[in-house]
Amino acid sequence: MTPTYYLVLSAALFCVGAVGVLIRRNAIVVFMSVELMLNAGNLALVTFARINGSLDGQIMAFFVMVVAAAEVVVGLAIIMSIFRTRRSASVDDSNLLKY
Amino acid sequence: MSGYLGSYATLGILLVVGVVLFGAAFAGNRLLRPHRPDPGKLTTYESGVDPVGGDWAQAEIRYYVFAYLYVLFAVESVFLFPWALVFARPGFGTTTLVEMAVFVAVLLLGLLYAWRKGVLRWT
Amino acid sequence: MNPVLAADITLPHINYGAIAPILILLGMACVGVLAEAFLPRTLRYPVQVLVSLVAQVAGLATIIGLALSNYAKKPTLTAGDALAVDGPGLFLQGAVLVLGIVATLLIAERSVERGGAFVAQAAVTAGSEADAEQARRQPSQTEIFPLSLFALGGMMLFVSANDLLTMFVALEVFSLPLYLMCALARRRRLLSQEAAVKYFLLGAFSSAFFVYGIAMLYGFAGSVKFHDIAVAAISSGKSDLLMFIGLAMLAIGLLFKAAAVPFHVWTPDVYQGAPTPVTALMASCTKVAAFGGILRIFYVAFLDSRWDWRPVIGVIAVLTMVIGAILAVTQTDIKRLLAYSSIANAGYVLTGVLAMQKDGISSSLFYLVTYGFTVLAAFGLVTLVRDQDGEATHLSRWAGLGRKAPVLAGVFTFLMLSFAGIPLTSGFTGKFAVFSAALGGGQTTLVIFGVLSSVLLAFPYLRVVVLMYLQEPAADAPTVAVPGALTSAALAIGAIVTLLLGVWPSVLLDVANSAAQFVG
Repeated sequence: MTPTYYLVLSAALFCVGAVGVLIRRNAIVVFMSVELMLNAGNLALVTFARINGSLDGQIMAFFVMVVAAAEVVVGLAIIMSIFRTRRSASVDDSNLLKY
Repeated sequence: MSGYLGSYATLGILLVVGVVLFGAAFAGNRLLRPHRPDPGKLTTYESGVDPVGGDWAQAEIRYYVFAYLYVLFAVESVFLFPWALVFARPGFGTTTLVEMAVFVAVLLLGLLYAWRKGVLRWT
Repeated sequence: MNPVLAADITLPHINYGAIAPILILLGMACVGVLAEAFLPRTLRYPVQVLVSLVAQVAGLATIIGLALSNYAKKPTLTAGDALAVDGPGLFLQGAVLVLGIVATLLIAERSVERGGAFVAQAAVTAGSEADAEQARRQPSQTEIFPLSLFALGGMMLFVSANDLLTMFVALEVFSLPLYLMCALARRRRLLSQEAAVKYFLLGAFSSAFFVYGIAMLYGFAGSVKFHDIAVAAISSGKSDLLMFIGLAMLAIGLLFKAAAVPFHVWTPDVYQGAPTPVTALMASCTKVAAFGGILRIFYVAFLDSRWDWRPVIGVIAVLTMVIGAILAVTQTDIKRLLAYSSIANAGYVLTGVLAMQKDGISSSLFYLVTYGFTVLAAFGLVTLVRDQDGEATHLSRWAGLGRKAPVLAGVFTFLMLSFAGIPLTSGFTGKFAVFSAALGGGQTTLVIFGVLSSVLLAFPYLRVVVLMYLQEPAADAPTVAVPGALTSAALAIGAIVTLLLGVWPSVLLDVANSAAQFVG
């Protein structure tokens, strides 16, 4: 099995995530889609590490994972604080700020 | 059981045997056991306690704070494994040890902060 | 199967002296966290302000020391080539800190709004009884100070990062505290939280593009160091496709932070909803950091492929200037107006960047500093115009301020004239520098659009001035708070630097010129 297939898979995952961010309404689901995009990036990094024959890509995937975990904590804290007030996590309800 | 696909044949036979055994056990069970349903038997089993509320009950917010802390510290530990592979090699030694100590100290600082802010207390 | 044995790994040498400014900032941020955890509530505010200012002043002193000890002339790479200590890096770090000190003064102010501009306990539900109580009685929480130190440290790391991975980590180190800081307003908390959610979701979206761009460039060059990417870009026989996909995705991530059109949609909402001192920090320091990263990537990693991507970024620069200016005209809220003006200003800096020669670097550096000081003072003044609900940001509420508060109106008029690029202000010298650099770099079209858009952009600024002087104040016109010592200091610094760099730009321009050499 050639590594190219993994690149195709990672591109597909990235697109699924990007479309998810753009069309989903729930902030948590939007955020999960972002995580999917980050993981697509990880898959691409690891695949290129295999193609290039160096370990750098795998180490970079570690860093991306850790940063993503920190992002989860910050992001969910913000979403929770607005959820407490609104009782809703829909991004469509966040409509006070416009124009 | 030889040739290119031989080992796959073993796997296939194992799968078939597994499925047949599983089916046979359940079929035997079904034939032999008495069948007398009543409402008490159909409720969710919660370690012998009467179940409370629906099965879509929301998890407590307090679990989620602990889950955050766990996720952060668990994921940070990913850096310990590559470090553990190399730190004993010649040329690494004390410097590496001190650097990792600094890293862990920063993590501990976070834990300390959470503790002082009362996040770890189950109120 | 095992391409690299662990034995090949060597311990990278770290020149701690050269990266001391970053370490000071991040270390003092940890001290701030400790102080927050162990000091009694009443002591926290003075200690945190002290820690914050000491850290930034010490960092700045170290940077000046490094620059004088010839690091600017003889740049070095350290930490396994992950960090570059060179002229532009030191200049940008210094700029982040100088602007950061002024922003910290605004953040630390506690007399304009009793108890400070930030919420006491962010976990209390917005709009509840307890929330109204804490808005009336309790002083601001002080976590904002360590958060801002972490953000500033991250920005300094970002502008000196010499590989894409370090750059990504630094990007998140400065973004995550900013997301949180946006959500901490004392008044109009729902608005503030909404701004934070929008900033966070879109910021995370853009950083996902950044990561994928890193992966593509790693696939292209086999390394994420800028130097290796530059070498791979000129070697023949490599498919350029991966490089262009990677560059495009990186650019999305960076231009988002710099607030360039079409990646600008978060800017007005976040600038309006965030507490005004935090907005000031974002408009000045984040812009410096974002353009620092853009400069380094374009000038170090992609200099030789510039003929391919320059037209695309040029179109983005034109869009940024024109759309920012047009939308600024239609605004009715002073914070949103300043937000659109900051978008247009991102376009002017981008014009300077696209000169792709030495004075392109120096003029962009110069512009970032001039704009930073002016925008800090402008947002500082916005915090002073208040009514019962907090800041009165709607433009109609500013009518007649010229009579009620002549000093405030006078300073604000001066800042608006600077934004509009009138001579004898730093806005003029900054625009002159970037436009002449762009002309020298053959970007005549960009300059034409830049001049047109700054003419257009003068209109909303002058409208505010007209509003303040020529209209009658409403019966319930907002009061103008007396600024405390900290805000006064910040305003004075901002206005004086705006004037100084307007009449005597060579003070800073010479420094920027001597710093404008990236290490390869």
